[in-house]
Amino acid sequence: MRKVIEGSHAVSEGARLARAQVISAYPITPQTHIVERLSEFCADGTLDARFLRVESEHSALAALIGAASTGVRTFTATSSQGLALMHELLHWASGARLPIVMANVNRALAPGWNIWADQTDSLAQRDTGWIQLYCEDSQEVLDSTLQAYRLAEWVYLPVMVILDAFFLSHTYEPVDIPDQETVDRFLPPFRPRFHLDPESPCTFGQMSPPGVYMEMRRSIQAAMEDALAAFADVEEEFSRVHGRRYGPVEAIQCDDAEVILVTSGTVTSTSRQVIAELRARGEKVGLLKIKLFRPFPMESIRAALGRAQKVAVIDRNFSFGASGIFAQEIRAALCNLPGHPAVFGYIAGLGGRDVTTAVIEEVYVRTRDAERPQEESIWMGLQEVKHAT
Amino acid sequence: MSSEPRERPPTSLLIPCSYLSTESNKTGSWRFLRPRYEEKTAPCSAACPAGEDIARIEMLTAEGLFHEAWETVLRENPFAGICGRVCYHPCESVCNRGEFDEPVAVHILERFLADAAARFELKPDLDRLAARSEKIAVVGSGPSGLAAAYFLARLGYQAHVFETMPEPGGVLRWGIPLYRLPFSVLNQEIALIRELGVRIHCDREVSPQSLAAAGSSYDAVFLGCGHSRSLRLKIPGENLDGVEDGLRFLGRIRRGETPVLQGTVAVVGGGNTAMDVARSAARLGARPVVIYRRRRQDMPAFAEEVEMALAEGVELRELETPVAIRRRGGRLVVTLQEMRVAGEDSRGRARVEPDSGKTREMEVQRLFLAVGATTAEEWQDPPPEGRGVLSLSNGVLVHRPGHPVLVFGGDLVAETKSVVHAVASGKEAAIALDLIFREGLEAVRPRLHACLVGEGPSLSMEVYLGGPRSRRNHRIVRYEDLNTDHFRFAPRIMEPRLLKEERLRSFAEMVLKIGANLATREAERCFSCGLCNDCDNCQLFCPDLAVIRDRKAGSRSINYDYCKGCGLCVVECPRNAMVLEEEALCARS
Repeated sequence: MRKVIEGSHAVSEGARLARAQVISAYPITPQTHIVERLSEFCADGTLDARFLRVESEHSALAALIGAASTGVRTFTATSSQGLALMHELLHWASGARLPIVMANVNRALAPGWNIWADQTDSLAQRDTGWIQLYCEDSQEVLDSTLQAYRLAEWVYLPVMVILDAFFLSHTYEPVDIPDQETVDRFLPPFRPRFHLDPESPCTFGQMSPPGVYMEMRRSIQAAMEDALAAFADVEEEFSRVHGRRYGPVEAIQCDDAEVILVTSGTVTSTSRQVIAELRARGEKVGLLKIKLFRPFPMESIRAALGRAQKVAVIDRNFSFGASGIFAQEIRAALCNLPGHPAVFGYIAGLGGRDVTTAVIEEVYVRTRDAERPQEESIWMGLQEVKHAT
Repeated sequence: MSSEPRERPPTSLLIPCSYLSTESNKTGSWRFLRPRYEEKTAPCSAACPAGEDIARIEMLTAEGLFHEAWETVLRENPFAGICGRVCYHPCESVCNRGEFDEPVAVHILERFLADAAARFELKPDLDRLAARSEKIAVVGSGPSGLAAAYFLARLGYQAHVFETMPEPGGVLRWGIPLYRLPFSVLNQEIALIRELGVRIHCDREVSPQSLAAAGSSYDAVFLGCGHSRSLRLKIPGENLDGVEDGLRFLGRIRRGETPVLQGTVAVVGGGNTAMDVARSAARLGARPVVIYRRRRQDMPAFAEEVEMALAEGVELRELETPVAIRRRGGRLVVTLQEMRVAGEDSRGRARVEPDSGKTREMEVQRLFLAVGATTAEEWQDPPPEGRGVLSLSNGVLVHRPGHPVLVFGGDLVAETKSVVHAVASGKEAAIALDLIFREGLEAVRPRLHACLVGEGPSLSMEVYLGGPRSRRNHRIVRYEDLNTDHFRFAPRIMEPRLLKEERLRSFAEMVLKIGANLATREAERCFSCGLCNDCDNCQLFCPDLAVIRDRKAGSRSINYDYCKGCGLCVVECPRNAMVLEEEALCARS
């Protein structure tokens, strides 16, 4: 059924249709409407789940780790500071191989206080062993939430579904909400390969000395590698049932492009419009949208970008002392490719600043007109600050 | 076990997890602290002179088990409906909930239970001991006499009550005004006592001679004849027409008379009788002025009674005392001496003395004296300490060989004269007599001590009879002992009352009934200090699944094979019904 809904509610609908059994959340800013709607579903009986209102995001994830250990389907949502507070338990969830699904609304980290769109919160968690899916619109948000459970339960790794604050979370768009029967066909009940059972108590997560620890870590990486293939299978099944697929990356007019823009999240939508206009003017430009960030779809990215002369990565995030985080990853993916394209890094839209068509066009023009990158990152649209001390 | 839904091969899954059950790891061996279920004493029950098991009563009420809750009142007090109305509820002033938001309205709930029992004509099923041969005479059918007979009957004795007046009840019938205690309630609760086999003989004057002769028919006599002789001021004009004894005035109204009053009437005194007289006079059309020689805070009347009297338009004149009364036309002129505070007595009340030269006159239509009462005859006064005289908390016991045991109870010995103290006195006497007959005089003190609620002086009949309450620790639960994180703020129920205008129009009962929904909601506010109400927090919080719940038996126990003694259960018990103790290390070695 097609309905105009808020982006955050697209996540809620996804968790409802996935029949999440335990939901925990800390309901204070930077929390969004995602869990508010889910709490209503639980209260009115639409969703048969246990809703835990906990005292912090750390506890929200801790509660889910406990719940997921018993083999039930779990969900939580957070943002920025909340995600940062979960950091320790993000590692625990993946190390314990628990298929928890969490939505993270990309919000800027404080100070200064800013709850607008910025990807640094989730990208700062890239090494925690979570699969990360970046979404472009509300439909993709809903679909990715459903896919996330399928993927998580296949590879026993937690999945983060990520959406831009406000541009997605608080914006109303028409979304096709599938019916429960269709979703149930795609997502059967979870039958875990291990679970905590009070009737037959076992120890989980106990001391693991050097003799075994490294193998366990390798096992996580094996599952991550498996997740790349599994994601393709999940998408295949999803498209069979729902008729939509997104791919780990989406290459738009990259085949003959000399300059390819690389984006993620909602900047992609704006970029689609810009390159259409540029193409109409005869510019050889392409666009690569990255949806799957962990595991990083190295091969797909090389295939899409390898033939271009220049790549311009637009990062709505920053790693202080280095550069935009997507740019780092793209450089790393391309560096061993003989004759690889030059990678230009652009920083735009931090803390929710608009990344307009003009900004994107400027990124293109600067990349096209430069021989080679002069600096690691070019900060777009910086204003002169006169009163800095 | 693998349940991969498609042909996809299982993902690598190497996790830190034990191959075998960890049940062989008896984590209980790490324990050096041991949690244990142990119910304790709620402050309200210890503050109740009748030792009512209030925490349990409210727990049952909250569950809607009104019959059981009512029976729980009756185990310790036959007068649920009466005390629910007239008791000054010392339980509420020590309620731990008072430190959280407001005390639980114990008296409103007690009355609700009695009203519900009356409405549905419930019959209590109370424990009774096998019949015994001893017979006991009870002199006076006021609250202490009736309570003594009630508890004696439950202990298996034949109790015969002798009452001078034509109907039983004593001060309950003749002293307490109808707007506080309707006859129907009194009659109902007396009927319950009669149903236990207690015989009440009315119009039977007891004299020293009949008392001396009682030895041939009775093994003991309980004297609960109260203070029926009013004290006088000993001032000129006290015997003039228009000066009336307050108690007598109240008795006349209770007998059905409706004396017409008008204009200002004076009520001299500061006790509960003075308040009752003043409020009754207000209902009969007068403008009452209470004259008290000390200050309001020194009045022996219960604060709530004073407050209600003032709300009904009664005027209070403090630090004044009448020194003479004379007639002028159809009126009385009272000469009032102003008093001044000159220090405090041992109980913290103001010591007053005349402020010399400061007098004034006041013209009134009538004057009522309510300055206290004393025994009607000398033989009713308890003897001083001596051989064979045993002084108890609420009675004086005289045990002389060859004579029936004599117990002076009720107001004859009470420091605080209240219905609930009279109940306490009757109960104490019944237990003491039972102990004398079964085990001898020496057993009285130690065995009574074992029945104390908390540190006493309240006694529990249930404990005496070895009921479940006897297993409780006497320690009184303090507010700090509770885990109030598990409670929500909730306002105390408002006592529904007639409008002030309605009150003054008749002697109709001024406090109205509440419904079951309000009663359960109010009862839910009770912390049930020290008692387990099956909330199961202990089980929920136990990290070792060491709390074993037997749902059929409704009980729970701790599996010490696995309990590590972390103490979470004790901390998370909202009502302090658990205790954490150091393991006796030497006992294990």
